[in-house]
Amino acid sequence: MIAATDAPHFSRPGPNLAAGVLALGVHVAFLLLLVVGVSWQTDHPAPVMVDLWEALPVSPTPPVVEPEPQPEPVPPPPPEPVKSVEPPPPAPPVVPRPAPAPEPLPAPRAADIALEKKKAETARLEKLKALQAAEEKALADAAQAEVEAMKRARDQQLAEQKRRELLRQMEEDELMMRMAEESAASELRQAREAEARLVASRRQAEITRAVGQYRDKISATVRGNTRLPADLKGNPEVRFLVRLLPTGEVTDIRRTQSSGNPAYDEAVERAIRKSSPLPLPADREARAAFVPELSFVHRPKE
Amino acid sequence: MNPEFGQNLSVLHLVLQASLPVQVVMALLLGASFMSWWFIFVKWFALKRARRVADRFEREFWAGGDINAMYQRVSAERDSVGEMERIFEAGFREFMKLRRQAGLTVNVVIDGTRRAMRATYQRELDGLESHLSFLATVGSVSPYVGLFGTVWGIMIAFMGLSSVAQATLAQVAPGIAEALIATAMGLFAAIPAVIGYNRYTHDIDRLANRMESFMEEFSNILQRQATKAA
Repeated sequence: MIAATDAPHFSRPGPNLAAGVLALGVHVAFLLLLVVGVSWQTDHPAPVMVDLWEALPVSPTPPVVEPEPQPEPVPPPPPEPVKSVEPPPPAPPVVPRPAPAPEPLPAPRAADIALEKKKAETARLEKLKALQAAEEKALADAAQAEVEAMKRARDQQLAEQKRRELLRQMEEDELMMRMAEESAASELRQAREAEARLVASRRQAEITRAVGQYRDKISATVRGNTRLPADLKGNPEVRFLVRLLPTGEVTDIRRTQSSGNPAYDEAVERAIRKSSPLPLPADREARAAFVPELSFVHRPKE
Repeated sequence: MNPEFGQNLSVLHLVLQASLPVQVVMALLLGASFMSWWFIFVKWFALKRARRVADRFEREFWAGGDINAMYQRVSAERDSVGEMERIFEAGFREFMKLRRQAGLTVNVVIDGTRRAMRATYQRELDGLESHLSFLATVGSVSPYVGLFGTVWGIMIAFMGLSSVAQATLAQVAPGIAEALIATAMGLFAAIPAVIGYNRYTHDIDRLANRMESFMEEFSNILQRQATKAA
């Protein structure tokens, strides 16, 4: 029996991860190069006016007027809180007038009556003293009352002032609020207006571009259909007024200015008829430049 | 207004806008390109290693060491050694086996040894050449595939042109640009593949020459050994 021993060694390298990563790197680098390096930017300039056409109602694009920065509504300086009226200086406290000094008593003439006199004297003095005290008390009371009245009046005045101030404050607040509201509304209005203007101008530019483009198309179509007479000399100019249906169908052609070469005039007129329907922009407003009537100028050579 | 008006014809945009067949072709080419680059790197590493290992082995072999000891070492680490070492190992193993059998002439022993070595050599060469056919295929076919995508894209662009009365360049330009990207991708896939294929075929040829020379020389050594012993 023959048996296969010693199987030969098979070496099969598995997929190499590093190679995969490198391959990926190559592609990413190439893609970046392609995207960053090659920018096929096509910039279509707006079609320029060619002198094939005349008196076309091309409404010029109104210059986009940047909305002028609205002056910040300057809030009026808040009215200075009226300086509180200085309270009148408190009246000087009424000082009770010092009681008049007791009159010097006459010296007793005699000693014996001195005692009696003394007694009487003391009684009188006492009475006087009491009187004096009563007077003083009355005066003090009066002063007290006066001070109190003044204080009350001042309090009242202060309260009144405070109330007035509060009222003024409220009014002011209300005014400020109204002004802020107004300014916000006007800002919004202006922004809206600016946006509308921008949209309108963009639209206008679009229409102008479409008009230019279709003007070129129409002239190319007519030019392609024109069979120039053999005896044509120079670059004569012929003008037509072409009436169009909204579909581009030519309804009527009127020559407004001959080139002087009837055969050439005829040829151009035939070409216009043959080109019917003329290509017209789908946009209604752009079409308004061509319908219902367009003035057409043709020269054999540009 | 034309839809093409004012558009930015960036490459990515063009690729994404392309028609389905063109996109399929592009995807195919991208895959082919990726795979071919993968194999280019795989082969690059493998061949570099093979050359380095062969250099080392030849230095070691001709340094005049003990062949028996070398055989022991090589057969112990079969998985990590190079192509030439495996050839040497297969040849020497066969030689030892045949030597042990009595009554065989030197010629028979040497013929058997050479057959064993040649078998291993073929197998190793096959391993080295794997994936090279893929590179060759990508290199030769992907330009055609890219061209197909381009033709298709241009066809579609011109078909779209038939429906408009006034033919302008702007109406076909994006279509043609997108179609031409397919050709660019085909070339991008093909050029490295062709270069890699040629380069690696040459490298493998040189390695194969070295291995064949080694086989002959080793056979001579073994023959001398066998005659001496007989």
